[in-house]
Amino acid sequence: MQKLTITGLALLFALSLLVSGCAKTPAQEDPMPEEKTIIEEVKQQEPTVVIDQAITEEEAAAQALAAEKAAANGLVRIQFDFDQYVLTDSAKGILVSNAALLTAAPAVQVLIEGHCDERGSDEYNLALGEKRALATKSYLVSLGVAADRMSVISYGEEMPIDAASNEAAWSLNRRANFKVKR
Amino acid sequence: MKYFKAFIVCIALLGWFSNVASAARIEISAPGEKTIPLAITRLLPMPGTTVSSAVAVEFQQVLLSDLELSGLFDMVDSAAFLSDANKLGLRSNEIDFYQWRLLATDALIKGGYKIDSGRLTVELRLFDVVTRRLLSGRRYVGKLTDVRKIAHKFADQIMLSLTGEKGPFATKIAYISKRTGRKELNLMDVDGHNSVRLTAHKTIVLNPDFSPTRKELIFTSYRNGNPDLFRKEIYTGRESRLSLKQGLNIGGRYSPDGREVALTLSKDKNSELYLIGTDGTIHQRLTNHWGIDVDPSWNPEGDKIAFVSDRRGNPHIFIVDVHSLEVTRLTHAGKYNATPAWSPKGDKIVYARLDKGVFNLFTIRPDGSEDRQITFGAGNKEHPRWSPDGRFLVYSNDLNKDKSIWIMRADGTGGRRISAATARDSHPAWSGRW
Repeated sequence: MQKLTITGLALLFALSLLVSGCAKTPAQEDPMPEEKTIIEEVKQQEPTVVIDQAITEEEAAAQALAAEKAAANGLVRIQFDFDQYVLTDSAKGILVSNAALLTAAPAVQVLIEGHCDERGSDEYNLALGEKRALATKSYLVSLGVAADRMSVISYGEEMPIDAASNEAAWSLNRRANFKVKR
Repeated sequence: MKYFKAFIVCIALLGWFSNVASAARIEISAPGEKTIPLAITRLLPMPGTTVSSAVAVEFQQVLLSDLELSGLFDMVDSAAFLSDANKLGLRSNEIDFYQWRLLATDALIKGGYKIDSGRLTVELRLFDVVTRRLLSGRRYVGKLTDVRKIAHKFADQIMLSLTGEKGPFATKIAYISKRTGRKELNLMDVDGHNSVRLTAHKTIVLNPDFSPTRKELIFTSYRNGNPDLFRKEIYTGRESRLSLKQGLNIGGRYSPDGREVALTLSKDKNSELYLIGTDGTIHQRLTNHWGIDVDPSWNPEGDKIAFVSDRRGNPHIFIVDVHSLEVTRLTHAGKYNATPAWSPKGDKIVYARLDKGVFNLFTIRPDGSEDRQITFGAGNKEHPRWSPDGRFLVYSNDLNKDKSIWIMRADGTGGRRISAATARDSHPAWSGRW
């Protein structure tokens, strides 16, 4: 389809060249145009309105602060499936809104923590937690958040949200969460 | 265990340990397979001592507990002891062996103690009752508080006399305890006594390992905000960071000669096994795969390392050759195998398998044969580590949600908890000869 359009455009272009070329061939001399005096009105340079820098800075700072606060409070943690570091669709959805918050607050540095549930070996889970944090970071990078604003750490299974041993607690604990560093 | 037989025969041939020729009659082929009837008499006060039955009682408890765990003995009931048990005579010609033969015991332990101005002297003898010979005679001198240590040392000596190889009872166990609310490094005796906390990092301390050559431990700690590998001298308390690469510095394990440490680093955004020197410099990268590579454990020769990898999907045990870097898969059964530990004898690798939501311990030969389960039932059993003589295993067990350190024979029998109840202990490491 695209190929067709391009070919069509090329044809049109070639045709237009032909047409213009044809139009030029009968050399007709144009009469010299009459000279016209161009009157230029010189306007007085008006002084630019002096912007009160102080207020703007304050406002900007307030805006930035609001954005940072929004980022600090608004970054939502994401959950993972057992023994997985692949982002689920719902995790990706959350990361899209997290990315928007981070883009609005460019001064914010963020620490991404990778966590696991208590099942499985703890050394393996340290590595798995790191993979979760890294997968989270690279998805945020793909959404336009600068890589150098994000650092990662894995806590493996060492810091559960819920210390209980049931499916609800486990799924809560398999996560990547965000800590804002200023 | 054939090794022990061979050892005994060797010594007998050499002839310098003359009584072993008779002791070879007390032949030990495997723990629990054939036991030696043993009588342990209570320590008697020697002339000139301050009398302390507490010392005698504690000594007997410790020695009995060690020797029972060994599985090599069948204890003769002390209620049946005759008059000789109350006679101090420690020379073979002073002992009424006939009385002990009546109780059908093959081996006899007699001893005496002397407490003199704070010093404790313990004289101990192990006799072969049948040949009426002394197998081992020891004198230990120490402080009054050394009574447990003396009992452990003599237990090791008894194992040496009867099997040709010392027991591991006078060694140490390092472990992680959450007693303070945070995970910290601790040290205790093999029977769980004399526990001391070694760190006060107040963050997360993980996965210790003993230096084979120095009184030193390595472990991972989040003290500086990153999981770094630390080194700590046990007696001076001196501590430093050995590896502090960005990302994981975990699972540190000293090579058998103590010159290098195998560990997992993730500095390149993926967990890989590396060898570093004792100054922390990287000597070699051992793995190169996008999967997770963790939990190294050396073979006794120091040329192969067992580790955990998910490169074929689920976590399984693999072996990497330190020289050729060739990786071979060890385990095929199960869906989640982790925390391998290579026996100091080289013949077995113990590991934990997660099956139906519970970790149990398995052993397998390094060629992949004889993959067999050695623990059963409820309670996650993880982090197995061998005693220096390869006859016992220490491991974490969370039976009834009581996370604690357990010890058992290498065949999975005789399991018992050694760390204090409700202490939330895990991740033991067994020292070498102390």
